[in-house]
Amino acid sequence: MAKKSYFSALTELPANLWHSIFRNPLPSSDLGRSQTSFTNFFLHIHPVKVNKHTIKPWFTMGLGLITFFLFVILIVTGVLLMFYYVPSTEQAYNRMLDLRSSVAFGTFLRNMHRWAAHGMVAAVFLHMCRVFFTGSYKKPREFNWVLGIVLFLLTLFSSFTGYLLPWDQLAFWAITVGAAIAGYAPLVGKEIQFLLLGDTSVGQEALLRFYVLHIAVLPLVMTMLIAVHFWRIRKDGGLSRPEEADAASQPPGESLEAWPTELDVAPAQSAVAVQTVAAPAIEKKRYGIQGLVRGPFTKVGNVPENSVFSWPNLFMAELFVFVLTLAGVLVMSLLFNAPLEEPVNIAHPPNPAKAPWYFLGLQEMVSYSAFWGGVGIPTLEVLILLLVPYLDRGTKGVGKWFAKERLLANTLFLTFVIVNIGLIIIGTFFRGPNWAFVSPW
Amino acid sequence: MAVAKKAHTSEPEQTEGQITRRRMLNWLSSVGLFGSAIVSVFSNLVFIKPRATYGQPNRFSIGKPEDFPSGTRITLSEQNICVVREGEKLCAISTVCTHLGCIVSTSETGFACPCHGSRYDQDGNVTGGPAPKALPWYKVTLAPNGELEVDKGEEVAAGTYFNA
Repeated sequence: MAKKSYFSALTELPANLWHSIFRNPLPSSDLGRSQTSFTNFFLHIHPVKVNKHTIKPWFTMGLGLITFFLFVILIVTGVLLMFYYVPSTEQAYNRMLDLRSSVAFGTFLRNMHRWAAHGMVAAVFLHMCRVFFTGSYKKPREFNWVLGIVLFLLTLFSSFTGYLLPWDQLAFWAITVGAAIAGYAPLVGKEIQFLLLGDTSVGQEALLRFYVLHIAVLPLVMTMLIAVHFWRIRKDGGLSRPEEADAASQPPGESLEAWPTELDVAPAQSAVAVQTVAAPAIEKKRYGIQGLVRGPFTKVGNVPENSVFSWPNLFMAELFVFVLTLAGVLVMSLLFNAPLEEPVNIAHPPNPAKAPWYFLGLQEMVSYSAFWGGVGIPTLEVLILLLVPYLDRGTKGVGKWFAKERLLANTLFLTFVIVNIGLIIIGTFFRGPNWAFVSPW
Repeated sequence: MAVAKKAHTSEPEQTEGQITRRRMLNWLSSVGLFGSAIVSVFSNLVFIKPRATYGQPNRFSIGKPEDFPSGTRITLSEQNICVVREGEKLCAISTVCTHLGCIVSTSETGFACPCHGSRYDQDGNVTGGPAPKALPWYKVTLAPNGELEVDKGEEVAAGTYFNA
């Protein structure tokens, strides 16, 4: 008897192991689909059902997801690179050469890290454009826009701190110039510059500080803020969408105001309750406590017609974006090598000494005036961006690209985008030795 | 909770605006606790601000006056200064661009910065570009051992020469 139960335990072991990890089999019913979504740690971030409008590919273009996946790729490749990197002025550059010559896939990993970093700066900027042009920062999503701007700045700062680590000419002079720009901030500028560099000029202290910021402080802060950013998407009622996207789901003769202001909570009747809710025949919706959500954006009202189950619709879309992002980074890394210039020469800056492309707009402005170009105008731009959702209180045109009602706001933002891209193009292609104007042709 | 309520009702004279002992103690302890929390955040800032740096010392020797014959105009790349001597007059001009800290190179007309195109004349005065002020001149003295000493901690007005 004991023998038999031992054998049966052994034969059932794989299945038992599997079921102890994954609570649900691959779903074949709507009940299964909803259970899979909220019993899995990684999936429960998503709602069980999403509005059809949310997964239209051309609405979001997956830009936020691309940014996030690039961040994940950066963490993985970054940790791998850390196994070989030493933040010392004596060794850092040699370690870069070692990556090329004596580390398996060393060049490739560095390429991936570099191109994913550039890609993330671009993706996070495009994501911001998407959110603006679709009016998605409007109430109740104001604070998530603010978090997004902070994440954008942190992305730039991560990239800036990473730039010093190879300890080549580009690294040294970009950071010398960048830290000097910080020094132009009123009152605390010099203090910030000194804290950042740990010395009066870029050297060993600065390298160590930038390393710690790059591999520990910034990724931690960003991970936390990304979590809040994602969490708020759900708490703010999912992705923005036009009113029509919800309209079809409302039972005739019943407006949003008709929904109970006080939650009408029935005792939770296990997940079967979800099933009964999904059935359109039920007149009065009663639901268990999955979460107490205030305001008119409870999902219950629009379950029947206009939404689809996250499994598989949303998850397949996300997987597709991930595969596409990874493929893009891999192809870039196979085709192009991350540049590495000569080792640091403190006496001779390269001529012209150019920052990475996304900072060239800033460098172009700085070449007119260090304070206004480097501190004044960027600070104003960031302040205005942060305040956008609190200044533009109109409720029209949410969830539509280039809505007619938002012509003024969109035009202003488009001007901002074009000016900044224009400055980057000038800085990249039209500036030669001594930052003199040259023609690229 | 119940105790608190009782204590409150036992003092019927008490009006809303007056400060009870309880409120006073609450207030003092919160200020104390949160205050020390904020102070401890500032202590982190103090912690990351180095008290000693490992870079170039401010004061350094550059050699004997004979090493710089009249007509010399030589850049010392490690110290980032340009030593100029004409006749008996000798001076040390910074080669760190006042705009954003790049190292200027000597050009025919004086100094030029490769980063953002600032230009200076032979004495370090700005002649073009975004540089906000002239290149500083540093104090040159003769140490007892007969070697010239430059002190980057002490700027002197342009045109103040050391008499070799």
